[in-house]
Amino acid sequence: MPPTPKNAGAPGRGANARMTETFMASTVIGAGITIEGEITTDEDVVVAGTVRGKVTAKEAVTIEAGATVEADVSGGSLAIAGSLTGNVTAVERVDLQSGSRVIGNVKAARVTIADGAQFKGNVDMDV
Amino acid sequence: MATDVSIIGQSARVHGRVVGTADVEVLGFVDGGVAVTGSVTVGVHAMVGAGIQGRRVVVRGAVRGDLVGSEAVVVEEGARVVGDVRAPSVAIAPGALVRGFVQAGEPDQAPLARAAEGARAVSTPAVAARVAAKSQAAAPVATTPRAAAAHPPQARATNTAVAAAASPARPQGARPATAVPARHPPAVAATPPASAPRHPPPPIVPALKKSRGQMAKRRER
Repeated sequence: MPPTPKNAGAPGRGANARMTETFMASTVIGAGITIEGEITTDEDVVVAGTVRGKVTAKEAVTIEAGATVEADVSGGSLAIAGSLTGNVTAVERVDLQSGSRVIGNVKAARVTIADGAQFKGNVDMDV
Repeated sequence: MATDVSIIGQSARVHGRVVGTADVEVLGFVDGGVAVTGSVTVGVHAMVGAGIQGRRVVVRGAVRGDLVGSEAVVVEEGARVVGDVRAPSVAIAPGALVRGFVQAGEPDQAPLARAAEGARAVSTPAVAARVAAKSQAAAPVATTPRAAAAHPPQARATNTAVAAAASPARPQGARPATAVPARHPPAVAATPPASAPRHPPPPIVPALKKSRGQMAKRRER
């Protein structure tokens, strides 16, 4: 599989913006950090650590490889490379990248599941 | 990699706890506590509604809860802290607002003597300024000017006095003068309430005395 740029589906952003995505991201849950509770933000979220609870963002949500999310996640668009247990809702799209492990229902206008992604749940693409 | 440092963004609100082993920078709002083994920074417009525990805790925003640093706690100019501050090294910059018991240094060393020493240090602006600027680890840093262990409720003094006293030593620069130094003139720093008799002896209630006497009489009968 060709290397997928992080946040390939980030809405309203150019290629240059994507390159600095992690740097620009307003909220970053780094590796080694655990959030037990609810995260609500109007901007992007990048999760490389652990989140238990709920994640609500208006912009892109990125769950990086190695991250563990046990939460319902909603956002503008979602890119998942890590492990996620919970329901996923996106306004625009959801990308389950290679190596990701998702258990839960996915609801978005566009859903991609890459080769090598593990997924168990329902997909709802009618909007 | 940028994800080495965790950031709670400016528009983000976390209702819950933040724990872990890495550094955390809070620029938004955290409702629960923050407990990490790395350093914690609370940004200018950030707000943390519960205690913060970290190796090195730097506060520029608002915190309502205890600050515990295993290495140091730095309360920067413009910060607002309501809660106790504990660390081997504590720095409170001029213009910061702290309301709570401050303990700098090792917690096991005789707290009463240290508090008294701290009170003396605070009363001289020069010392307070030096303490705020350097945040020396071993120095009896700007602790509350009272023996807090004896009467914890009264010990919650406003330590802005420390900052206000120190402010002449460090000019505020181009920053527009906030209300903080004006509201807390340096005179406040010079009046630690240590010597004031806080607890007058309880009044003798005649009714009580009388009733006791009557009870005694009844017993005699």
